Amino acid sequence: MIEITGLKKTFGKTRVLDDITLTVNRGDRIALIGPNGAGKTTLIRSILGQYVFDGELTIFEKNPRRHREEILNRVGYVPQLPPPIQMSVGELVHFSAAVSSSSNSEAIGRQAEKLGLDIDANRGKSFQKLSGGMKQKLLIALALAGQPDILIMDEPAANLDPQARQTFFLQLLQSMKDTTMLLSSHRVDEISNLVNRIIEMDYGRVVQDEIIDESRLGETMLSCLIRLTDLPAAAKNMLDEWDFSRCDDELEFEGRFLGTERLRFLTSVSHFANHIQKLRIQ
Amino acid sequence: MTTFFQVTLADFRESVRAKWFLMYSLVFGGAIVLLFVLGVTESRVMGFTGLSRLLITYIQLCVAILPIMILISTVRSVVGDRESNILEYFLSMPISLAAYFWGKVFSRFFLIFIPITLAMAGAIGWGAVKGLEVSWQVTGYYALLLGTLSWCFLGIGMFISTLVKKQEWGLGLSILIWLVFLLFIDVILIGLMLQQRIMESVIVGVALLNPVMVFRTGAVLLFDPELTSMGPASYVILDTLGYRGVMAYTIFYPMFLGWLFSCLGYFRFRKGDLV
Repeated sequence: MIEITGLKKTFGKTRVLDDITLTVNRGDRIALIGPNGAGKTTLIRSILGQYVFDGELTIFEKNPRRHREEILNRVGYVPQLPPPIQMSVGELVHFSAAVSSSSNSEAIGRQAEKLGLDIDANRGKSFQKLSGGMKQKLLIALALAGQPDILIMDEPAANLDPQARQTFFLQLLQSMKDTTMLLSSHRVDEISNLVNRIIEMDYGRVVQDEIIDESRLGETMLSCLIRLTDLPAAAKNMLDEWDFSRCDDELEFEGRFLGTERLRFLTSVSHFANHIQKLRIQ
Repeated sequence: MTTFFQVTLADFRESVRAKWFLMYSLVFGGAIVLLFVLGVTESRVMGFTGLSRLLITYIQLCVAILPIMILISTVRSVVGDRESNILEYFLSMPISLAAYFWGKVFSRFFLIFIPITLAMAGAIGWGAVKGLEVSWQVTGYYALLLGTLSWCFLGIGMFISTLVKKQEWGLGLSILIWLVFLLFIDVILIGLMLQQRIMESVIVGVALLNPVMVFRTGAVLLFDPELTSMGPASYVILDTLGYRGVMAYTIFYPMFLGWLFSCLGYFRFRKGDLV
């Protein structure tokens, strides 16, 4: 679906993408992670055809610069920060539906409703005057309405409240089963349940490309034993949240979690890495 | 075509809400009101009085302020959208680069042209109410002149907007270009060039290439057909091209320049990084 070979991008003398080679297949749900400046946004913008670059990049076997309309009709994009658009909600919905051959106002309305945003009630309001969460919901609804083949989202849940975040993730899992997703995030735990592949970037390179074997571990309950050197209150709270129980030893805990949750668990535990003496997952 | 129309409409709506458009409309609408209040229609210059006199004063005002107003408002167009991430978002939609760029150009043209045309129409309407005679030749030619001048500076502004990475640089460059154009009108640097005995063809060439000079010549031409109130370069131009030739040149040259810079802007926009 997306073929990248030897992709390089330089701004001035700074190389931001350094020889990236990557294949994204249909149905891949990728967490694109990495620190600030790793090159995530540059990679996304290159895929969207917004940058010129060295190397090869094709989407649906086409060049994103030369066939941008054809490609972007099949791509949904949600930016990290809502742009300061002056249009009203109604105008933005109409505009988005009018320029896309795969979307329409009714579908946008339905998607927004699922996320808890009433388009009709906010039709006349300026997009700028909406709250951060409402803006993000609208942008997500605009991206999902066309049932895109590829969905690209930059920190998609950053501005959502916990309830909307859950609904959004659930909606993504249910309605976008065949959609290829590229989710950029600083926090892998937040999107770990959604993805089946993790690509980590640093200094413009892919430093890790891991496929999560859903079929083997996804539905399996994993047992875990953890022994700490001491027990800070925050660590105790975290273990309580994961429903872990204390063993005979006061500093040893055991518990169980679903295979799909293991990444989120490891991220939670990693905050207390200095206190971990022993960790065993089976 | 639908996408082009949607972008034009969207940009038109966005810009109408912007502060620059309010200020721009107030300046040109206010100028006409001010000229009426000051009683310009009652005065007489070189045989012109009434509405023609008012329009001549109005067009002289436009020579000075219209280019810089257009440049300042247009130069932020692409680079402003780029800085605010609006461009990134809109260009993630299936919009062709041509539809985006030319949609913006045409929307801006209407935005610029509508207030100055409405101000002129308002003046003519008010003049008709007061029983003043309307010179349709003056009105028609000045409307054309304002249209082509707007198109010319719009093209230059759009080109700068695609060229620079920051709005501040665009604004600085606009002011610099405007100053250079102002300096090279007949009575300022061209006079100095004559004193320095620079070749006549160079002087006339500079004058002919300067759109502000061309606009000023066009503005003066109707009430001063000999261009006696202009400088020496204008006499040579008039001798070379003739009255109708100068008139045609003042219309077609800015139009050509507008298209040239718009196209250069479009190719520059299409060629490089979009965001």
